[in-house]
Amino acid sequence: THLRAWDSWGLLACLCTVLWHLPAVPALNRTGDPGPGPSIQKTYDLTRYLEHQLRSLAGTYLNYLGPPFNEPDFNPPRLGAETLPRATVNLDVWRSLNDKLRLTQNYEAYSHLLCYLRGLNRQAATAELRRSLAHFCTSLQGLLGSIAGVMAALGYPLPQPLPGTEPTGAPGPAHSDFLRKMDDFWLLKELQTWLWRSAKDFNRLKKKMQPPAAAVTLHLEAHGF
Amino acid sequence: MALFSVSKTAFLLAFLSLRTYQSEVLSEPLPWAPESLKVSVNTTSQSLHLQWTVHNLAHHQEFRMVFQIEISRIKTSNVIWVENYTTTVKWNQVLHWSWESKLPLECAKHFIRMRSAVDAAKTPGPRVWSSWSSWEEADVQNSLGQDLLFVFPKDKLVEEGSNVTICYVSKSHQNNISCYLEGVRMQGEQLDPNVSVFNLNHVAFIRETGTNIYCKPGQGDGIKGTVLFVSKVLQEPKDFSCETQDLMTLNCTWDPGSDTGLLKQLSQSYTLFESFSGKKILCKHKSWCLWQVAPESQDMYNFTLTAENYLRKRSVHLLFHLTHRVHPMAPFNVLFKNVNATSATMTWKVHAIGKYYTLLCQVELYGEGKVTQHNVSVKVDGVHLFSGLEPDTEYLAQVRCANGDHFWKWSEWTHQNFTTVEAAPSEAPDVWRNVKIVQGRCVVTLFWKPLSKLQAHGKILFYNIVIEYLDRTSGSEVLSIPAPASGTELPLNQCSSQIRITASNSVGTSPASVLVVSREPGNEEVEEERVKGTEDGFPLSWNPQPRHVTGYLVEWCEQPRDPPCDLQWKNLGPNVTSTVVSSDAFRPGVRYNFRIYGISTERVPCLLARKTGYSQELAPSDNPQVVMTNLTSHSFTLSWKNYSTESQPSFIQGYHVYLKSKAGRCHSGSEKAVLSDDAVCCKYKIDNPEQKTFVVENLQPESFYEFLVTPYTSVGEGPHDAFAKVTTPDEYSPTLIRILLPTVFCILLIMITCYLKSQWMKEKCYPDIPDPYKSSVLSLIKSKENPHLTIMNIKDCVPDSIEVLNKQEGTRKSFTETESTKPTYLYLLPTEKRYSSPGPCICFENFTYNQAASDSASCGHVPAPPKAPPSQLGLLTSPENLLKALEKNYMNSLGEIPAGETSLNYVSQLASPMSGDMSNLPKNPPEPALCSEYKMQMAIPLGLASPPSSGSSSLSSITLLDEGERYH
Repeated sequence: THLRAWDSWGLLACLCTVLWHLPAVPALNRTGDPGPGPSIQKTYDLTRYLEHQLRSLAGTYLNYLGPPFNEPDFNPPRLGAETLPRATVNLDVWRSLNDKLRLTQNYEAYSHLLCYLRGLNRQAATAELRRSLAHFCTSLQGLLGSIAGVMAALGYPLPQPLPGTEPTGAPGPAHSDFLRKMDDFWLLKELQTWLWRSAKDFNRLKKKMQPPAAAVTLHLEAHGF
Repeated sequence: MALFSVSKTAFLLAFLSLRTYQSEVLSEPLPWAPESLKVSVNTTSQSLHLQWTVHNLAHHQEFRMVFQIEISRIKTSNVIWVENYTTTVKWNQVLHWSWESKLPLECAKHFIRMRSAVDAAKTPGPRVWSSWSSWEEADVQNSLGQDLLFVFPKDKLVEEGSNVTICYVSKSHQNNISCYLEGVRMQGEQLDPNVSVFNLNHVAFIRETGTNIYCKPGQGDGIKGTVLFVSKVLQEPKDFSCETQDLMTLNCTWDPGSDTGLLKQLSQSYTLFESFSGKKILCKHKSWCLWQVAPESQDMYNFTLTAENYLRKRSVHLLFHLTHRVHPMAPFNVLFKNVNATSATMTWKVHAIGKYYTLLCQVELYGEGKVTQHNVSVKVDGVHLFSGLEPDTEYLAQVRCANGDHFWKWSEWTHQNFTTVEAAPSEAPDVWRNVKIVQGRCVVTLFWKPLSKLQAHGKILFYNIVIEYLDRTSGSEVLSIPAPASGTELPLNQCSSQIRITASNSVGTSPASVLVVSREPGNEEVEEERVKGTEDGFPLSWNPQPRHVTGYLVEWCEQPRDPPCDLQWKNLGPNVTSTVVSSDAFRPGVRYNFRIYGISTERVPCLLARKTGYSQELAPSDNPQVVMTNLTSHSFTLSWKNYSTESQPSFIQGYHVYLKSKAGRCHSGSEKAVLSDDAVCCKYKIDNPEQKTFVVENLQPESFYEFLVTPYTSVGEGPHDAFAKVTTPDEYSPTLIRILLPTVFCILLIMITCYLKSQWMKEKCYPDIPDPYKSSVLSLIKSKENPHLTIMNIKDCVPDSIEVLNKQEGTRKSFTETESTKPTYLYLLPTEKRYSSPGPCICFENFTYNQAASDSASCGHVPAPPKAPPSQLGLLTSPENLLKALEKNYMNSLGEIPAGETSLNYVSQLASPMSGDMSNLPKNPPEPALCSEYKMQMAIPLGLASPPSSGSSSLSSITLLDEGERYH
């Protein structure tokens, strides 16, 4: 349900915003410190763009899996997908997260999700689907870099991947093809939830980092989204 | 003999020993029963694997045995499979047997047992079985795991069209488990309380990721499923073929058919195996494969192409000789040398295929809508000469080659264009002329047709005209007209001249066309003949000329209605006496005129015939404008002189005159005709198209006629729309006019005469009656007695019992004195008489009052009462009001009259009482009608009727009854 419950923001607004900001993303690490504000804004915009991009990709991929995975009300138990980073969190816990932890969780989640997504790409049978997945992986890589940039701007170290915990391309042992399809479904669903949560995370960070005078404007803008 | 006895004894012994052995087998339990039976389950292949041994076999002993295997499902009594497995059993051998289950083995327990027998198929009698082994159980449900729901088989791969059995195993004792195939609920059958089975027949391919089957309990969110991978059936490769371009590499191609690739199964693979060399390669592409030819070592090849996937394998074979499969590459380096007006040489190169092979090349040449083809044998370089080409023409040449020794396939074409060079025009231009005399000079208009491409041999640049005057005194003129022109107008110094016309291109000049112009107009008085056009054109024929002619020429105008005319001509040979002139410009309903000339040896044209005709005649669209003249009561004349028969859309054969009349009778010379609107009329026929007048006769006077004149042709008449109308005059009116006019003239003459002689006539016919007043006698009386003498006019007055009291005081005395001689006359009109004119009703002739009017025909009237004012009209409706009003008004008026001077007493003839008729008084006010008729006089009270108020108002009347209340 969540995968299809996208907000009504149009493609054009997101695309334009991201195309405007994307060229600046790689520059986050190499230029002098311009403050974390612009980087956070760009990261926020990127999450919105990826959210939109995922919407069409997920539709195509779930159709490729076939029913019941492409049915709107399909909501299976989250079995076998336990290794996926879970985006849903208690609201109080989420509020109490400090900036470092918040950014670290985001970074770790997307690192894992990106690996799984690349595994998905390797399995895909059709060339068109592989192209779409590869394109999305590139965008997700950009988001990961953007988060890393924000963390660097704030002086937080990047989390080091623990040896042995690096996913091998598939989320957990899939016993059957049906369970593998279920994992694919959950991967896309979790990715969507993460993008939605990241938008909230970066909106919160953005408000926190901006000077009070500019906060009003940004607040209004956030309402717009 | 001894040898025979020994061998016979040995045979008998051997036979006896065999019989003994057999009797032992039959009588005792079989010692070789299956033992150590073990059953294992392979869930991947859904098969049961059996393993057993046969004990008590002697070393090196070997038997052919039959093992009967029974398989039961769920319980031992439910046997679902019995099979006899025959094999040769050796000492200490472990035997194996497998059985694939249609039902997933996880769905139910299976029980297996077996028994054995020696295969005694060659010996008669029933088979002796060992005892059954004990039932072995194959149960994988115990090892399923902790989950509550399972769906089997897991991720099975089948071919399209297979039948598949699916089952679920539930451990939660829930019965309301529903299962779905691609989202559609399936209906199954319950195998036991926890297991249900679904049979899928003829499963179809849906997608590469497989067909999803899943089950979920009615409560809880547990969902379990499996993916059934349905592969398309692997097809045999079609159109398998191998060929080489260079004897170095063989290119084998085929049509692979549908792809059987799935997420679980790769697409089918293709391997190429050559049996003579024993080489085998795995092809990288799905539809073609390259095979390297070993140089000069092998001529014959026997290929086997095998397509293979997880489920199936398909092969095709191909045996061929290498040199019979040569498909050369396209020739290259195609060039043209020595290109001139009519020939060109083409050269090309071919890719060599070995040292000893000759190529056969095919050369094609396209140009001027034609194709020519030549075959050329080529080793390395090809050469071909194209001849007989047209000058200044673009050609397309192409070449392809094949193996000349063993034809297999042509190579691709290689194309190249070339253009031949120009040459001088080969033909003289086709020229014709039109000669006219302008101000005494001959003016020749020359026309020529552009040379065709085949005649021009290049681009025509200009036309040369040479005029040679035949009298040899004027010399000659030379003109040059630039090329696009197709004619020119030349004023000649002399008519007798010879004109030569040539066309020139960049290379040379064409032969000349010669025309001779002479002043003689030729035989212009040739009679015109009619010709009937057909769909193919106008067939024209003429008489052959006795004198020698070099040819004939037909001339016509394609736009005869337009002033430019668009002159066309057609040259014909000297032996031709007929032709068909056709043109796309010919239109139906247009008259075309053809002139046929004979061209003499001196090039002088002579008119032979004139033809005229229509390609298709059309019915006339208009009728003539008819003028009607000479209209009499019995005839009229119709005339349409302005009607041109030449400019009609068909040949006019005559006219029809239609006459419509009410009588409907047709006289001789006409016939009855029914028009399209069912109107009947008389039809007169005029056969001569030049007769453009017609007299319609035998008409009725004072009758209405309608007439129409319409031309008729071989294709019909003109329209029947506008009939003209005419009415014949009266028969006698001319006679009457002849009589009346002189009569009127005579009367007028008499009247004028009478007028001029009126005095004389008057005196002769009715002399003046002497007026007594003016007579001389009267003057004599006047002077003697009374100047008031008058003469009574008796004719107007009828004496009645009216009594007039004349109270003239001043004249009483004299009246009395003259009573005997001059009485007062009283008149009353007779009541019976009605007056239609406003004449006097009551006439008093009393010269006392009205002396001036005494001699008039009119007499005095009763004075009219003054009009009542409108406000009093309503009051007058009752007699009392009327009386009052009258009384009041009259009293006023009477007040102005001297009382007692005059009184009128009116006595009715009926003598009605005065008050008795008051109700009959008029309700309307008195109107100033001069005359009222009434038959009853009524008494008016004294004083109401009044005499004229003064002497000047001499006439007055009173009307007492209105018209609506007359008494009859």
